Amino acid sequence: MSAAVICRNVSAGYRQQPVLHDISLTIQAGQMVALLGPNGAGKSTLLRVLTGLQPLTGGEVELFGRDLRQLRATERARLVAVVPQEVTTPMAFTVAELVALGRSVPRGRWAGLAATDRQAVEQALAYTDTLELRDRYYSELSGGEKQRAIIAMALAQEPQLLLLDEPTSHLDINHRLEVLQLLERLNRERGLTVVMTSHDLNLAAEFFPQLALLDHGRIAATGAPAEVLREELLEEVYHCKLAVRRDATGVLMILPTRTGTAPTGKRVHVICGGGSGVEVLRRLCLAGWQVSCGALNQGDTDAQTALALGVTTALEKPFSPLSAGVLATAGQLAQAADVIVVCEVPFGSGNVKNLDVARQAGKPVLLNTRQVAVRDFTPQREVPAMIRTLVERGATSWEHVSDLLIELEKVR
Amino acid sequence: MSHSRRWPIWPLLLAVPIVCAGALLTGAAGLPDWHTPLGRAVLELRLHRILTGLVVGAGLAGAGVVMQALLRNPLAEPYVLGVSSGAGLGAALAVFFGWSAMHLLAVPAAAFVTGIVTLTIVYFLAARGGGASIYGLLLSGIIVSAVLSNLLMLIVSLAPAEGMHSILWWILGNLQLSAQPLLLTGGALVLGALIILTMLGAQLNALTLGREAAHHLGVRTGLMIAGCLALATLLAATAVALAGLIGFVGLIVPHAARAWVGPDHRKLPGVAAIIGGLFLVVCDTVARTIVAPQEIPIGVVTALVGGPFFLALLLRRRKGGWIE
Repeated sequence: MSAAVICRNVSAGYRQQPVLHDISLTIQAGQMVALLGPNGAGKSTLLRVLTGLQPLTGGEVELFGRDLRQLRATERARLVAVVPQEVTTPMAFTVAELVALGRSVPRGRWAGLAATDRQAVEQALAYTDTLELRDRYYSELSGGEKQRAIIAMALAQEPQLLLLDEPTSHLDINHRLEVLQLLERLNRERGLTVVMTSHDLNLAAEFFPQLALLDHGRIAATGAPAEVLREELLEEVYHCKLAVRRDATGVLMILPTRTGTAPTGKRVHVICGGGSGVEVLRRLCLAGWQVSCGALNQGDTDAQTALALGVTTALEKPFSPLSAGVLATAGQLAQAADVIVVCEVPFGSGNVKNLDVARQAGKPVLLNTRQVAVRDFTPQREVPAMIRTLVERGATSWEHVSDLLIELEKVR
Repeated sequence: MSHSRRWPIWPLLLAVPIVCAGALLTGAAGLPDWHTPLGRAVLELRLHRILTGLVVGAGLAGAGVVMQALLRNPLAEPYVLGVSSGAGLGAALAVFFGWSAMHLLAVPAAAFVTGIVTLTIVYFLAARGGGASIYGLLLSGIIVSAVLSNLLMLIVSLAPAEGMHSILWWILGNLQLSAQPLLLTGGALVLGALIILTMLGAQLNALTLGREAAHHLGVRTGLMIAGCLALATLLAATAVALAGLIGFVGLIVPHAARAWVGPDHRKLPGVAAIIGGLFLVVCDTVARTIVAPQEIPIGVVTALVGGPFFLALLLRRRKGGWIE
């Protein structure tokens, strides 16, 4: 595999303000790379460096083995094409005329290769599915159609490297997908090297096998999505709380978390499991409660939620009955709390001891009493009796999260 | 959801001999007799004005096409960057200091040189170190223009009565001003510049996407902008040297040309040149016949025809090849 782009110790900047510091980066031919990073991290500047728009203050850039500074404008345009965020023209170009601008500059010594030019334009139109738009005015297209037309113009250059500067930031989710799928296809079928800057971490994780994360003009990390999109790294770079999770199909999801609610200082211990606590945990965290949770098995949906929210949790090994040690931890958490919440959790022999934790803590209990019998999977059918005992001892029953929050206000 | 509509060029080419023949046979003296010396002189005079009209109209319209493309602005015209006020000042100085009496070519030469010098100053003011940006060009053009116009007014106010009349006549424009060798030289310059611009048409197309987008498409933008500005200035300065300051042609004819063939700059310089030439020939015929035997300045006619025409174009600008 040969390198499409090599940056060696590249520095660049605007006047007195350096933007890129000592960037070294190699992009192999045929790769799909997303450049990520917060505003002002230097993503766009790095793209401008690669197209020769931004002069270097240090280091060197090689495109397909050739020094960028030695490339003539026409040679560069045959290697690299660029899709900016937005292209506007005051002229009433039709889509076909616009795409033909990709061949603005004569290709070789003999400028008369009109047939080749026409063929390149037709191919670009076909590839981007813009054939039926060819006679429409570019300025009258929708955002997604415009972006496809611009990509077609770039493809008419027949480049080996396509650079895109946040091409999807003006598009709705449907057209974003459309553009990214087009890039994926171009990469797969034509071996086109694709480098794109993006603010959308989720789409980048889904569509780009290689990521590069920039921060303050330096490379913070490069590699596969799982290596780059790490929670602590992202929090450091983006300066916000966020959670990295995988959904059921293994897709990486990066979710920013809301912060800033004033803490009440009151503690609540939540007994949940199997997803019954997801909403409760989130709502309580947002409301400013100090939340603890457990006991839960690792890998349980609620355990993942608790982890993402930074909730202290008593954790048991996956698929194991709750051991005495973990139950003791849960007991301590429950005793430290001002109130205990029991969610609409199914009980079996593995987790039923959590009800003992609630009973023994000696704190007010808010107990979900919805369809108790249906949720009872213990061999002796002991749950309804345990619930009754708790209620007799003064536990408040609730059925919906909104009721729970109202009850909790009273505790406060 | 309008689809593009473009017209072929041949009707325009066909119109050239028809319009010229019409203009040749129309005039205050009516249909002249070819067999008398007087008739031949009248025809020769009219032919000279027709040819001057074609050259000047082509020059102004071609320059307008380039300015509107480079500045990406529908209101741009050949004079916007100060060529007119510079050339006007040069011509006025030539009249004021009496150079015009010493040599036939003094006024056009002074206008040509000062027009080009003005644009050079504007360009380097705007460039200041790097390449000139569109806004930099417009801004420095407007400032330099304003200063020179006021200097021109100063000279007009100081000039003696007959000098003032000839300066005024020159400012309003007149196709009879040019001498024959000057017309030939000017014609060659205009033709050459238009041919080069046509060859650069594809790159001019790319430049209408903006400087950065054109750079990505492989255009050497700094060189192209400077080169095209130089060619446009040459066209405009030649036109001004031949016929004085004729307004509106460089503004409206490019719009008409785009409405005819679309925004492709591989065709636009040529098409605009033909339309511009025809327009001036028609306007001049009107100027010398409408209140015959009196003659009105051609600049007045182009403005009176051009104003309403431009308004109409603005009202249907979406189809006019320029979209806001």
